[in-house]
Amino acid sequence: MASFELVKSYLEDATRRRPGVISALLLVPVLALLILFFVVPLIQLFNLSTLTQQPSVQNPSPPHSLLIYTKLLGDSFYLQITANSLLVGFSTTLATLAISYPVAFYITRISGWERTLISVACLLPIFVNVIVSILGWYILLLPFGVVQQILSSLGLVTGPLQWLRTFPALVAVLTYEHIPFAVLILVSSLQAIPMDKINAARLLGAGVPRIFLTIILPLTMPGLIASSILVFSLATSSYLAPILIGAQRIRVLPLSIFSYGTELLNWPLAAALAVVLLILVVAITYTFSLAMNRLTKRGQWELV
Amino acid sequence: MIGLRIFVYVIVALMLLPLLITFPVALTSVSRISFPPVGMSERWFVAILSDHALIASIVRSFWLAIAAAIVAIIVALPCAFVIQRGKFRGRHFLETWITGPRMIPQIVLALALLAYFETIGLAETFIGLVIAHLVITIPFAFRTLLVSVATMDKRLEWSSDVLGATPTQTFLRVMAPQLKTGLIAAFIFTFILSFNNVTLALFLSGFGQRTLPVEMFQRMNVAGMTPVIPAISFVLALVGIVMFIILDRTVGVYRFLAGRE
Repeated sequence: MASFELVKSYLEDATRRRPGVISALLLVPVLALLILFFVVPLIQLFNLSTLTQQPSVQNPSPPHSLLIYTKLLGDSFYLQITANSLLVGFSTTLATLAISYPVAFYITRISGWERTLISVACLLPIFVNVIVSILGWYILLLPFGVVQQILSSLGLVTGPLQWLRTFPALVAVLTYEHIPFAVLILVSSLQAIPMDKINAARLLGAGVPRIFLTIILPLTMPGLIASSILVFSLATSSYLAPILIGAQRIRVLPLSIFSYGTELLNWPLAAALAVVLLILVVAITYTFSLAMNRLTKRGQWELV
Repeated sequence: MIGLRIFVYVIVALMLLPLLITFPVALTSVSRISFPPVGMSERWFVAILSDHALIASIVRSFWLAIAAAIVAIIVALPCAFVIQRGKFRGRHFLETWITGPRMIPQIVLALALLAYFETIGLAETFIGLVIAHLVITIPFAFRTLLVSVATMDKRLEWSSDVLGATPTQTFLRVMAPQLKTGLIAAFIFTFILSFNNVTLALFLSGFGQRTLPVEMFQRMNVAGMTPVIPAISFVLALVGIVMFIILDRTVGVYRFLAGRE
């Protein structure tokens, strides 16, 4: 109790002399949590990936080496998986932006119940578990499922559709999952455009394509960059859709991480693949944002 | 414009379709997934209540999300104040760092925590799961509260101070009312994030300790898929719509989800 009083009086004394101490104390819980359960585990993950074999009771600390990375780089099986991941990520990003940009533009031009309806539809997947929407797509895309029945009744197709377990189906579901995030960023980006700039351009005789190319597109570039970075990193690292819709036919990095990490229990290999995924995502999003910043000549973009 | 309008409504239909299709599928009276449903019955909605594993996972997910949301707000609020109000070097570095966990693939974090928890004895525990959820909910709570703190009127606090209120009174009577909407938004947001999280729970929850999304995933992926899954899915979709409307009516979805003013 005496020591508690001592600490208390010391703290009171310190905070009276330096208000900064209070600030520092308020930051401690979050910083400690992030060091203990974010930074340290990631360092340990890298450490784990350099082990030559799975730690066991007989051999708790096997020797370290970077051999696994050279093995991964030389193995066409893993290179193919990495390429698949990138392809899925890029295709999803393109499809998501192509759909979200017009939708976001439309949302900023309307108000009232129509705006609420479209917002609910486009943002709802954030509020509902991703498993629910994947289940919905699964039911829609099943052979002899809903889409099949509609197309058959229109006489467009005959025989069972094999859409499930294909690359387009996987990209479609991933696009669905990520449209809300892109719409969210793009709406706030499009809303920030001052209307008088558009009106001024219109008064000066600019047509719709010219207004779009010279005013709207450059001003929303930061939003486009931010949303593509977010969608790319989320899509490249998602594995629920690949496992449930792709049914493991399209092998991507997160699938391998999951199966080596939890089913086959080869932690060093899973850790190495996770490090590869991490480096890939961070490197691509970073270079992309850097290159686009230079292109658009503005240093301000913000990740949501 | 008319072309754009048609395009937008096609997208709206496609966005709602997967969530709403679960309803007719769940109305079936047989125990396999089919469309159109065979017969009409509410038996699978009733079956949710008698499915003990499912109910247990709902309860677990609920408490997990409550714990993660409350703790995230309690620790993130002081941080938001210090970083928004403070004038010290490294503010931007700290801001980037606290929001950092959003930037890395969650599956990488999940694997890292799985290996780490194994060495420190938190593996397959509820507290480990709460900690893991905190790592991903704190950045979002922090961002939302940062916006909220930035929009507060500092002059009101000065006035309160001058008029002789104690710091506690100032906080409760002057600052808390201004923070109310921000706190509600941060709570709903982090709750949803945690309640819906699959990745972390899939790696970290032990056998017999599944959260609702993991339970649904396991039944879809491994075995035990009955129309009870579409039934609970539709209930979740309805809850999502209600949450959305509450958040939109109280604070405005765009303002707070985008995490800026």
